[in-house]
Amino acid sequence: MEAEAVVEARGLEKSYGETVALSGASLAVEAGEVFALIGPNGAGKTTLVRALTGTTEPDSGQARIMGESPTAVDRGRLGVLPQDFTPPDRLTAHELLAYYAGLYDDARDPDDVLADVGLADTGETWYEDLSGGQQRRVCVGATLVNDPDVLFLDEPTTGIDPAGRRTVWRLIEDLAASGTTVILTTHDMAEAQRLADRVGLLASGSVIARGTPDALVSDHGGSSRLTIETTADPAAFDDLEHPVSRPERHRGRSAESAVVVRDIDPEAIATVVDYLERRSLEYTGLTWAEPDLEDVYLALADRAELERTAAVDDVADQSDAVEAGETA
Amino acid sequence: MSRLGRIRAETSAGWRSFVRRRTAVFFTFFFPVILIVIFGALVRTDPADGGLFAEPAAYYVPGYLAVVVLFTPLSRMGSEVARHREGNRFEKLATTPLTRGEWLLAQTAVNAVIIGLASLLILGLVIILTGAEIVFAPILIAYVLIGVVCFCGLGAILGSYTDSQDGAIAASNAIGLPLLFLSETFISLEQLPGWFEPFVNLSPLTYFARGVRAATYAEAGVADVAGIDPVLANLGILVVVAAVVFAIGARSIPRTD
Repeated sequence: MEAEAVVEARGLEKSYGETVALSGASLAVEAGEVFALIGPNGAGKTTLVRALTGTTEPDSGQARIMGESPTAVDRGRLGVLPQDFTPPDRLTAHELLAYYAGLYDDARDPDDVLADVGLADTGETWYEDLSGGQQRRVCVGATLVNDPDVLFLDEPTTGIDPAGRRTVWRLIEDLAASGTTVILTTHDMAEAQRLADRVGLLASGSVIARGTPDALVSDHGGSSRLTIETTADPAAFDDLEHPVSRPERHRGRSAESAVVVRDIDPEAIATVVDYLERRSLEYTGLTWAEPDLEDVYLALADRAELERTAAVDDVADQSDAVEAGETA
Repeated sequence: MSRLGRIRAETSAGWRSFVRRRTAVFFTFFFPVILIVIFGALVRTDPADGGLFAEPAAYYVPGYLAVVVLFTPLSRMGSEVARHREGNRFEKLATTPLTRGEWLLAQTAVNAVIIGLASLLILGLVIILTGAEIVFAPILIAYVLIGVVCFCGLGAILGSYTDSQDGAIAASNAIGLPLLFLSETFISLEQLPGWFEPFVNLSPLTYFARGVRAATYAEAGVADVAGIDPVLANLGILVVVAAVVFAIGARSIPRTD
């Protein structure tokens, strides 16, 4: 655990009845860092954010913000955007920001915040009449009215169009540059890769991997790959000096319609093309890609899901065995 | 400034949100009006003939006021709390300096203005339509305010423990209707079975009705309480009950999931 952590979670556990939301989640976020929490639905991201902001009480473990309990920390230094947050819908965007600003002693001018989230022209529109993306940007603005030192954003760009998303991204980058600590959850790997200094992957209630995006990609993302759109059998590439296989995932198309050449540099693509020509192997396209955070996510989340499923199966098997023993 | 500023910000947002819901505004005022028209003008008070409305018109003034002092906070607060929960607004507010008590106080202030206006309308209509002869005592304002505080607290409790707006409104109706008719508002204690008196005494609305009646209609002969003038004594009881219910209401408002 880093000594200078502004936000810390140690062994947080939380269950809702039979459902385990957090099972020993730990993380530490340093001052001025942007930390992205990624993970599949139900992994515990929102519960972890709630535990860190004091809006849920963990069953065990400890959460600290700026060295204090989340419920004791100075609220004026926090900005929180909950997931699925809906403010009063018959206030204008400007009135909403003025309302939330009015809850703090030292607040920013709502007009400045509106401009920051790219809504300077729609300040007089009722919240309910804004588009979904504009509404989400107002909600992001509501977290910025007090110029927080620590900002929690639970899926801040959900429902925002690409241009609006980039506005929010630039905003977060500016905040980080000015020293604000940001913890965000997202399903958008491009968002995490662009914004985050470090990423934590949450699965089944635990942070199963954390590190810089580059380190995670290096450790878990696999190798660079050349995808060849062809129906040829991978065995037809036996003489190629790179390993070749069917893709594990092929963007919604059949895995039988492509092969993947791994561990290949861009300079070596020409040799593959020569190989295809020499063997008269038909192909319709070539795509070269380096591994990215999405590969990390899919690899680790898949592994965690397999482990979880195996564990559930084990429990079921043991239960069946006990029942069988009792019956006998 | 800080506490006052937070309450002012919350009150301002609550007021704007309310007045922009025209249907809610219309029915908030229409409900007591239609009640007075039906009971006061159509059914009519007939002191000589017995039946439900056997007392002089002035006797029922606390009942008509109770309609808005009881029902408006119960249903508005219940649904407001439920709406806040559904929109994760309390989760957001829990991370701001606004406390639960301040939030409830701000919402109570909004209700006080609405109910104050509705009460004026009711008093005017009762006098015009039923010919009730009442005394306009300034302490009426205190009764309405304290009543609003009490039932806003109760509404907050209902909203906190029901799981939806529909549930909150249904619960407020289920609790409000018996309270309205079994608190010496429209039905006097003599018209109820003797064993029911302790239950009547448990209702905070009873003290509202007795006190308002004592203040506005001296001929009603409302009894002293432990030798204290009934106007002050009933207000005192209502203040204590309101403080307790308001505190429980504020504590009931969820800060966590």
